Amino acid sequence: MSTYQLPYQDRRGFTNCLLSAIGGDGANMAAKLLFKIAAEELNLDGAYDAKYGSEKKGTPTDVSLRLCNFGTPVRESGPTNRPHILCVFRENLIRTLGLNRGLQEHATVIVNTCKSPEEIRDALHLHSGTVHVLDAGKIALETHSRLNMPMMAMLAHVLGFPEAAVIKKITETWPRAVEPNVAAYKAAVDQSVSKSFAADGKYQLAEPAEVRSAIGYDNMLDGGAVDTLTQSTVGRNNAYARSNPAPAFNREACIDCAKCMTVCADPGAIVWENGKMVGIDLAYCKACLRCVAVCPETKKGKALTDPAKEGVVTCSF
Amino acid sequence: MQLLNNAKQKMFLGNGNDAAAQAILDIKFDGEGYYPITPSSEVGEIVSKAVADGKSDISFVVGTSELAAIGICTGMALAGGRVVDVTSAQGLLLKAEEMPSISGLGLPMVLNLSTREVNAPLNIKNGHSDLAAALGWGWLIFMAPNVQSVYDMNIIAIKVAEAVGLPAIVAYDGFHTSHANRRIEIFENAADVAAFVGDKPARQNILDLEHPTTFGPYMNDDLINTKVLLERKMAKAYEIIPQIFAAYAELTGRQYDFVEVYGDANAESGMLALNSAAEAAKTVVDELQEEDKGVKLITPYVLRPFPAKAMVEAVGGLKRLVVAERVSQYGAANYMENEVGAALQKAGNSTTELISRVYGIGGLNFRPDEDARPMFELAMNWPNVDDSHKTLEGRYWGAWPGDANYHPPATLKRMTTEETTWNAGRDKIDLKELSNMPSRFEKHSACPGCGIFTNLNQFMRGIDGNVVFLFNTGCGMVVTTGFPQTTFKVSYVHNLFHNASSTATGIVEMYHRFRAKGEIPDEEITFICVSGDGGDDIGMDQLIGSALRNDPIIFLEYDNKGYMNTGGQLCYTGILGQRNSNAPIGKVVAGKQTQHKDIVEILRGTNAPYLFTGAESNPRDLIMKARKAQATVRNGGFAFGKLFSPCPLNWGSDPAMGNEIIDRLVKSCVHPLYEIENGVTTLNYNPEKVNAKIPVTEALKVMGSAFAHLANEKYAKEAEEIQREVDTRWERLKARAENPVL
Repeated sequence: MSTYQLPYQDRRGFTNCLLSAIGGDGANMAAKLLFKIAAEELNLDGAYDAKYGSEKKGTPTDVSLRLCNFGTPVRESGPTNRPHILCVFRENLIRTLGLNRGLQEHATVIVNTCKSPEEIRDALHLHSGTVHVLDAGKIALETHSRLNMPMMAMLAHVLGFPEAAVIKKITETWPRAVEPNVAAYKAAVDQSVSKSFAADGKYQLAEPAEVRSAIGYDNMLDGGAVDTLTQSTVGRNNAYARSNPAPAFNREACIDCAKCMTVCADPGAIVWENGKMVGIDLAYCKACLRCVAVCPETKKGKALTDPAKEGVVTCSF
Repeated sequence: MQLLNNAKQKMFLGNGNDAAAQAILDIKFDGEGYYPITPSSEVGEIVSKAVADGKSDISFVVGTSELAAIGICTGMALAGGRVVDVTSAQGLLLKAEEMPSISGLGLPMVLNLSTREVNAPLNIKNGHSDLAAALGWGWLIFMAPNVQSVYDMNIIAIKVAEAVGLPAIVAYDGFHTSHANRRIEIFENAADVAAFVGDKPARQNILDLEHPTTFGPYMNDDLINTKVLLERKMAKAYEIIPQIFAAYAELTGRQYDFVEVYGDANAESGMLALNSAAEAAKTVVDELQEEDKGVKLITPYVLRPFPAKAMVEAVGGLKRLVVAERVSQYGAANYMENEVGAALQKAGNSTTELISRVYGIGGLNFRPDEDARPMFELAMNWPNVDDSHKTLEGRYWGAWPGDANYHPPATLKRMTTEETTWNAGRDKIDLKELSNMPSRFEKHSACPGCGIFTNLNQFMRGIDGNVVFLFNTGCGMVVTTGFPQTTFKVSYVHNLFHNASSTATGIVEMYHRFRAKGEIPDEEITFICVSGDGGDDIGMDQLIGSALRNDPIIFLEYDNKGYMNTGGQLCYTGILGQRNSNAPIGKVVAGKQTQHKDIVEILRGTNAPYLFTGAESNPRDLIMKARKAQATVRNGGFAFGKLFSPCPLNWGSDPAMGNEIIDRLVKSCVHPLYEIENGVTTLNYNPEKVNAKIPVTEALKVMGSAFAHLANEKYAKEAEEIQREVDTRWERLKARAENPVL
């Protein structure tokens, strides 16, 4: 226990981890478990704070875990904006959220992806540090675990938590699912690919994100009202909210029954032109697959199908 | 007082809400009245779990609103109970009428206030405007700057409250503390907590038949004397709080004072801040000390009674004090600024200059480097600081003017009556034709498979022309209008949790007035209120009021069987035995304990002209009902529709299964399709006639983990009770449909 050493220490004695995920990924649970291991097994102190807005499934969320030696005052609240370790549950969040901002030099980055560490470094604009990539979705699927387990495993691994301590907590927390979770833990550590990048000047360090939008007290409408015609969500892309592939559409099999249109949870996703269904607008679709469920079987099969069932792997949609 | 030295403590990992709940369980209260509101909801959820598992015998009652919850607490306390409640923000303000009443009645209790901003536009994050509103309500107010003190102050608060006969608020910062997970210490044995708090002191109560008593008489000129009682109690509290703090310290080693002073006692510059910000600032005090720049941080642990003497001593010889507050009294000096200023003046201190700052409002954090340090530097350098700090705007720490060159182009055109008219003159519902109708809303951020927009999409295809939406607080509102963007292509207003119907009444009155006078263009507008089923718990009276007035508006309820925006808490619409975050499936109690509310039948008694249920599984029926609803408001009447709406997130249901689930709810008659036109009931779909009726368990088993257990053998008794209730209501409905006078 006394031999454990924090992998990083800022001037106040903290290792800062930021977990970036979407609601429903279980990032919160992962951080909670790691905090428990830290305090109960390694006698560390620290803080885990979730951003926590109105938590909807599919909306970006982040969880911060800051660890320090017991005795170091833990006073600051709110998530870290200067992580040493960044753990990304969804690769597409890197660009959407600009996750390089505030990331420290010689950082450790864990990403659930099929891409290579080099590709991730470029996507992230990583100044320097080590990138660990793993297909956490595939591992979760193969081990009958959940996405957060391989991600938590990698985070525990890079934090240098002893394997025995992690497995002990997994066993205590999910006594009825020890085997799949331990399998996911081991698979993550075994299958991850890592590469270190020196501070070679390719990318600069970026300051933490600022909350300031272009609208402030001088140009805000009275009472914080929103001008509908210029501030519409019409240009938004909701693609990041998909945790599985969007339905595939086969025009040949479509009989324009409009059932898909009546059940769609993201109206606008089912595109109709002149009384005919012409496809799916991916900027709307969150891949709930409601439309696939009601799409009738015709002579030419179903017009809307779930591509995941056709063997598409988890991180390549 | 029996003193126990060094009661054994143990490690506890949790957030501020966990700590409050743990204290509630350790204190062993008699009762808790409860209503969920972010960010304090968790406290009640944890207590309800302990009750469900048989680990606590507290009477835990979920009210229909915050006002109901505190009313329940008042009743429990009048009966002599030791009582606790939790709330935040608008929740506290909805309790407002009861708050001075409780202190006036002399009822001790504890209210945990997880502080949150109160404002329009709505914000769920931190601010102290709720706390500031409570300053003059005759409640003791204890401050808990971190997770540890949330636990401690709860135990201290009930002891002080019972000793003086006043209620007490324990205030901790929403999110910054409520959701901050920390390692703290708690009592290893709850018996030590009980010994410290002691037995309930004997006090007058309504169950004492030996001493029949009238509580709450009508009082006129004598009322001034009750104020003296309140003042005396506060004075007594001021006397005994230090003793109770000392006793607690002896027991736990954790010492609290009226006011904590941190840093250099002889400093010339300082900052006063409350709660979590003061915690964060301590680090900077230490770091400045190392740089030989001694500063002083002042933070009170008690706001009521206001510890004026301790505050004056804490300020001491400071020349400049930044008084930082998470609240503003626009157009006046700020709350703490006033109180500290008055205390200093009375004490003859005319040399300390107070510099007021308003900070950390809404989602803004208070960080050591970005906030605390510059604030201390402001105190150190004042008045030799940049002029921008001396402006009206400069007082608002972190506020920004915006980009003067930001002129975003229009991405939409105003929707015209012509392009949105696809129903007039048509009898049939042609879905292919209606696919041409432009949507009144765009992309939203609801969960995949959420039923709200499926329902709204179908319904709106039956509504022609101009529309104005009014939303109650809830998922539908939160996922559509995150500033600075809006999902709505037409005008929209959100006016709090339960007010859509009354707000619509006001708007529609003015619409007709101005249209008749020719002050606005002579164009038809249809006003559509949209609420979750929770909005119709807390806003049931206002909804009924609108129906009774027969206001020409359409009111839609998306019924997803719970407070889904706040984390899946129980709504009165919930099914018997349904799993909710505050009605869990435990060892001794299984889920919601009452049958589902029937809002359409409640509204039947208003004799409103058009009431209906709708289901996404029957789109033509729903669109036809939309046409009828619009026809009703065109005739000057009120229309209400209840639409069943799946919540994959909190039901744990398969997002793809939404339509199938609703179909089964219709076929099992849990959600029968019918309408009431001027009192006459029509069944729109009778599953018995087409041999499609299914048992309720056939629906429940596909509805996700919130319901599916009810289809298991273990919960056969609950399933049977649900079936019996559904059958009774169905038979009654059929009888009504067969007989127009029923």
